[in-house]
Amino acid sequence: MRKLSSLMLVLLIAVTTVYAGGYQVRLQGQQQTTMGLIGTPLVFGSSGIFYNPGTLSFMETTYDFSAGVSILKSNATFQKDFTNYQAKTHNPLKPPFSAYGAYKINDKFAVGIGVYTPYGSTANWDDDWAGRMLVQNISLKAIYVQPTVSYKISEDMGIGIGLVYATGDVKLQRGLPYSDDSKVNLNGKTSSWGFNVGFYYKISDQLTFGASYRSKIKMKLENGDATFTIPQSLGALVPPSGTFNADLPMPANLDVGIAYKFDEKLTLAAEINYVFWSAYKSLDFTSTDVPVLNSSSPREYSNSLIMRIGGEYKLNDKITLRAGAYYDPSPTSDIYFSPETVSLNTIAFTFGATYDYSENLQFTVSYLQTNGMETSKSYAPANFSGKYQTVAYIPGFGIRYRF
Amino acid sequence: MKNKYIIAFLSLAVLFACEPKIDEFPSSAGTADFSKYIAIGNSLTAGFASQALSQEGQMYSFPNMLATKLKEVGMQGELKQPLIPLINEDDKGIGIGSDAQGNPVFHTKLKLGLVPDGSGGQTLSPVPYDVTVSSAELGAALLTSVAGDGPYNNLGVPGAKAGHLLFDKYGTYGAMHPVSGDPLFNPYYVRFASTPSTTILEEAMAQAPSFFTLWIGNNDVLGYATSGGAVDVLTDLTEFTTYMTAIINTLVSNGAKGAVANIPDVTSIPFFTTVPYNALLLDEATATALNTAYAALGITFSAGNNPFIIVDLAAPGEVRQMQEGELVLLSIPQADIKNPDIGLGSKTPIPSQYVLTAAEIQAIQTATAQFNDVISVLVNNKDIALVDMNTHLNTLKTGLLYDGISMNTTFITGGAFSLDGIHLNPRGNAVIANFFIDAINAKFNARVPKVNVTDYPGIKFP
Repeated sequence: MRKLSSLMLVLLIAVTTVYAGGYQVRLQGQQQTTMGLIGTPLVFGSSGIFYNPGTLSFMETTYDFSAGVSILKSNATFQKDFTNYQAKTHNPLKPPFSAYGAYKINDKFAVGIGVYTPYGSTANWDDDWAGRMLVQNISLKAIYVQPTVSYKISEDMGIGIGLVYATGDVKLQRGLPYSDDSKVNLNGKTSSWGFNVGFYYKISDQLTFGASYRSKIKMKLENGDATFTIPQSLGALVPPSGTFNADLPMPANLDVGIAYKFDEKLTLAAEINYVFWSAYKSLDFTSTDVPVLNSSSPREYSNSLIMRIGGEYKLNDKITLRAGAYYDPSPTSDIYFSPETVSLNTIAFTFGATYDYSENLQFTVSYLQTNGMETSKSYAPANFSGKYQTVAYIPGFGIRYRF
Repeated sequence: MKNKYIIAFLSLAVLFACEPKIDEFPSSAGTADFSKYIAIGNSLTAGFASQALSQEGQMYSFPNMLATKLKEVGMQGELKQPLIPLINEDDKGIGIGSDAQGNPVFHTKLKLGLVPDGSGGQTLSPVPYDVTVSSAELGAALLTSVAGDGPYNNLGVPGAKAGHLLFDKYGTYGAMHPVSGDPLFNPYYVRFASTPSTTILEEAMAQAPSFFTLWIGNNDVLGYATSGGAVDVLTDLTEFTTYMTAIINTLVSNGAKGAVANIPDVTSIPFFTTVPYNALLLDEATATALNTAYAALGITFSAGNNPFIIVDLAAPGEVRQMQEGELVLLSIPQADIKNPDIGLGSKTPIPSQYVLTAAEIQAIQTATAQFNDVISVLVNNKDIALVDMNTHLNTLKTGLLYDGISMNTTFITGGAFSLDGIHLNPRGNAVIANFFIDAINAKFNARVPKVNVTDYPGIKFP
């Protein structure tokens, strides 16, 4: 009877809905991923570097190393208004990854370093699709490196701070109206700095609380490469190549969560993430050598609130089952919605299991599926409108070694 | 026991795994019956573009685009079109012009090419697609009958006026006007008329259409306009009314429904708006010389842009400067303007066939308005849709935006018109097809899916 009810619980959690949006990817810890991507109120060793640096000093061992990778398969479908025209993305598989190492110096201090990929976006539409003037394909990825220090204020309270060094890489291809195969390829790399702070509070043996804040990081692309493919007879109109500058904000996040441990087996948790997406007002390109590149395309994102729930059930000494769900409302605007980032109100569920191979070695498998809810959106400046829907399947695997 | 949980987990993955799917457009025919669609009209219906009718133009005709969508709401079979033959396996297109003596000359379509700009560089300009093929060969190809493969759903005949749809000599090869000696037949119709004396309207009715599109009357003003008001004449209003009444009454006589487009303001198309009235660019010396030459008429010139000098029999000395608002036709030999020996528009006044004067423009606009009133009254009395192409073309003038591609009535760069500045390119035809669909959907409470405009090519740049 007990076993049946725990299975029911897993199922219930799994079908409850959750969301995430924009070009954020929160797959920074496989154990957190299995549990609705909740991290702030939970001590999961070194992966707390991303989720909550305040938990690091509560590590149970002296050393803790963890690494994980997910296989992200996402696709979007578009149905143009008033027509029977449909288009689908053909996105390649993407491998968001994370790797952490942490060392507990003494009872009070712990230090660590993490490498992870918190932002990324890929949309490969066909070159001849209806929205080609807005985007044909885009690949956006950011890699963060975060050295971190955590301090245990008291037996039940910890804080942590990490310095974030971020590198970003953007590739964007857009059609041009000069001929069927006219296009511009924009390519840029950049780096920038930010920080991540966290607070962890063990209110009682059962109840824990966590909060973390990751700062906004403004990615300034400077001297990116622009390459034009246009009919030869129009060579005078546009040079074959040039440079451009652009800004792309990686928004700040405020995460607050609680977890309640019912008994040795069962823990339930809930978390909210407030994402400061309103930093993304417009996508601006400036160029001194190619005047036609100068443009400001409104995006008008709004701040969003993600709600997550999750649960953990220790089946036995070896196996821990987890499941979670979240609702991630889209930060995008209804009338400035660009198909470069097909972010819709999303319901997601997660589940997975951790297998303790030995006292030191742990394996985790995770599965995350996000379902973007069918939504009518338009990009008014291009008079481009239709319905979008998205699905992403994200299986993952993680390994953790501690001693 | 362990396995049970694993199975439960996996079954969840299967349960939720689904592709992002959006329901197809819910199309419906409403109160119309599209099972048998026939298109009737002129060059705009035929798919004429860049001064010729070609297979490519026919494939991109608005009725052919419309048919792809009407098939989703009950249209049976294909939209059969009398395709222009390829010549040497090449789609050169066949157009009809005339030589200095007024004899017909057949030519190919136009393409965009680089030509010398007169100052050492090159400029993009419409040029003949193929100058090696002879007029005789093109003419013979055009007149090769394809009637045996008919009947055809697209009965658009380039050059047809409203009255021609009812005219039993229009498909009779060799029929000449008894007085003027001008040809009464039209080679574009001769080639597919089922018998020499079958009218275009009879051709339509013989197929018992359940739905038709009719776009006629443009040439009743355009013929006059493109000849600078010099050769052709505006159709008389009474005659036009008689023709249109007969055409529409016949088309609906068996209960068919349809959509009828009215006549756009032809003076807003690139053929008339590309060359400005004051495009005469003079240097100081030439201006001084012209001032001397025209001193007696009181016409003065200055360095910079000046209005062209045109022939006007009513003016003193039978020449005058153009006024703002008057139009120069795209057919003007532009090289002669820059040629200092000819000095067209300065030393040599521009002949009437290349210019629309204020009075001629007024006559065209009045006739267009009157003809459109006739069409409105006829359509409103029947269960057919009116496609207000006159209003639509005015919106195109200010610019339309589709999926990030803007279109307007500017020559070449506007992206809607073909290289002749009169007919539309494929993308322009797609816009036209959607105007028809809008009107059909509104009138018949139908849900015909629209054409995806940006699927169709615009101007091809080399």
